[in-house]
Amino acid sequence: MTSMNRRTLLGALAGTAVAVPALSACSSGITSLDSQGGGPGGGGSSKGGVTIGTANFTENQVLGYLYAAVLEQAGVKVKVRPNLGTREIVIPALRGGDIDLLPEYQGALLNYLDPKATAAEEGAMQNALTLALPGGLQVLPYGTAEDSDAFAVTRETARKYGLTSLADLKKQNGKLVLGAAPEVKKRQVGVVGLKDVYGVEFKEFKSLDSDGPLVKGALKKGDVDVANLFTTDTDIEANDWVVLTDPQNLIPSQHIVPLIADRKADDTVRKALARLGNVLTTAQLTELNRQVDKDKKDPEDVANTYAKQHGLAK
Amino acid sequence: MSVDWSWISGHTDDLTSLTVSHLQAALTAVLLGLLISLPLAVVAHRIRALRGFLLGLSNVLFTIPSIAIFVLLLPVSGLTRTTTVIGLTLYTLVVLLRNTVEGLDSVPARTKEAAKAMGTRPLRTLLTVELPLALPVIMAGVRIATVMSISLVSVATYIGDGGLGQLFTDGFQRNYPTPVIVGVVLTLLLAVVADALLVAVQYVLTPWKRRRA
Amino acid sequence: MYELFKNLGDWLTSGTQWAGSDGIAHRLAEHLQYSLLATLVATAIGLPLGLLIGHTGKGAFLAINLASFGRALPTVGLVVLVFLAGGLSMLPVYVALVALAVPAIVTNTYAGMTAVDPDVKDAARGQGMRAHQVLFQVELPLALPLIMTGLRLALIQVVATATIAAYVSFGGLGRYVFDGLAQRDLVQVLGGAVLVAAVAVALDLALSGLQRFLFRHRTA
Repeated sequence: MTSMNRRTLLGALAGTAVAVPALSACSSGITSLDSQGGGPGGGGSSKGGVTIGTANFTENQVLGYLYAAVLEQAGVKVKVRPNLGTREIVIPALRGGDIDLLPEYQGALLNYLDPKATAAEEGAMQNALTLALPGGLQVLPYGTAEDSDAFAVTRETARKYGLTSLADLKKQNGKLVLGAAPEVKKRQVGVVGLKDVYGVEFKEFKSLDSDGPLVKGALKKGDVDVANLFTTDTDIEANDWVVLTDPQNLIPSQHIVPLIADRKADDTVRKALARLGNVLTTAQLTELNRQVDKDKKDPEDVANTYAKQHGLAK
Repeated sequence: MSVDWSWISGHTDDLTSLTVSHLQAALTAVLLGLLISLPLAVVAHRIRALRGFLLGLSNVLFTIPSIAIFVLLLPVSGLTRTTTVIGLTLYTLVVLLRNTVEGLDSVPARTKEAAKAMGTRPLRTLLTVELPLALPVIMAGVRIATVMSISLVSVATYIGDGGLGQLFTDGFQRNYPTPVIVGVVLTLLLAVVADALLVAVQYVLTPWKRRRA
Repeated sequence: MYELFKNLGDWLTSGTQWAGSDGIAHRLAEHLQYSLLATLVATAIGLPLGLLIGHTGKGAFLAINLASFGRALPTVGLVVLVFLAGGLSMLPVYVALVALAVPAIVTNTYAGMTAVDPDVKDAARGQGMRAHQVLFQVELPLALPLIMTGLRLALIQVVATATIAAYVSFGGLGRYVFDGLAQRDLVQVLGGAVLVAAVAVALDLALSGLQRFLFRHRTA
């Protein structure tokens, strides 16, 4: 195949792209055209409805449906688009207007926006986020619940190599295999930061998933030695896995924080999400995740039940 | 691995909307594919020099993994249904273009000459003689393209769309077979029903075939 | 667009990109291994089946309908299903790839067999050929062009679809596509896609070369 073919091909691709949106917009509920109301700055309006996007792991979907439950209670029309992909995919979609609201995590979001950011305490991080965010996006006040990245090993591996902290990994440089979602290879809280901060180098990086069946299965089977998990996963305790401590604070504080497009951020939305943020605790969120992953309940049902039980929705 | 029937009965609304959205994506793609293929096929049929190029191009498109096409479209059309539809449309071209060209080729030269001799204009000949006679071959292509698209829609679950494909990623993440089984069965049913309907459409559109049979 | 292609050129030609366990050379080898093994298994299943149906004329309706059913099987769903049933291994990927390839092979083999002129078969029998001789010395050679078409179609589809191995943590060129998606690194995605397409086109050319080699006597 010649490069000319390839170029014609992409030219054709781009050509169809221009021609098609008008047609297919009618066939779907989602169009990027009708969500651009409200100007920049604070004066948004949720009147036209809010589309909530979520990333590709359980907890983010639970949070998305929790946002939906409290917003609906406040009279806002909502639509949830679950399982859209990684932060690297979802945030451009938020900027592009495909979605309006996203459950985020302070530290990870700040790292994504500014890999060199040093803020570690939640208040400072909130300010840093406001500065680092591109125009058109803002973070609302962060909630009580937290969920951090964790690097875990099996009890056996911990004993064998004498591992208790991330710093201990350096002694085993070139020997261990790290398993994580593909994006972690390029992230600060991931291969990049582990090398910069702790001088750790792995024998191999295995692209798996975000605290899903692949990474947990691989850790269980011994296909990977170190796995990137989330602290709100009950499997860590259930399997007696050891979470390596982080003496140099590579992993930032991770309060859950709503990331929203300015155009939708009105008082109704702010109040509803702030109330949820104050009520939801880390332990409760962990339990909700467990109900979805272990009891196979729907994230949507789990979220609605929680909202009712805590007086956040009827 | 067992099916959790209560999950199914509790999710009939979701399953309906996913099925509708799935079918919508596939059918829009086939319709767009036809709209693009018909004029291109006429060109490829008339101008031999362009024929190899156009068919070759659609073949090359077919060798690109669908997931890559969806991802590469993200800067153009974002996480939207549009991305899904463009990707699927490109895939239908390989079958639709080839079959339409072959259908036009299959029209006997004598028939066309007869139309010309009767003073029928070229465009009219195309619309009233060539295309109807090419219809069986074109419809065979439409059937394959439809079944193929219905099976391919689920790949768009990687970009947050994908109709019934969302049941696959959901079941995968939660280690929960029921949604996956339901998704596979519904996809197959959709394909079978759509194919049967297309056979019926073809039956209606080609009355002369019926009389002969 | 220009930027993307310039970066693609750099990506494809950088020495470090080709080396190591995540290097292009290794991923290419994995991709070839998955694709060829799957196509081989699919041929071992589909070819005898198509020959049998074509030769005996029995079960054609069932086989053709099953084949079109097979075409409708969603690959992603099949991979996930086999994964949930049997755990993490390459098996889900191979099952899905074989299921994808078998229909094309069966239908084309069958079509090739039915296209053989009945008079030719009669003549062969009249010369005292046994059933298996008619099958292997008359029908099969005459059906071969269509059989090869089926094989080529199956191989192209398998090469493009073997990308899915990366979804369940394995390698192959799909690694670049799925990792590129997660990292929103379009150069990597495009690089993976170009390589997959190149492999498909190269294998297709190789098979068509083989086909021409096999039939070199016929045109002479």
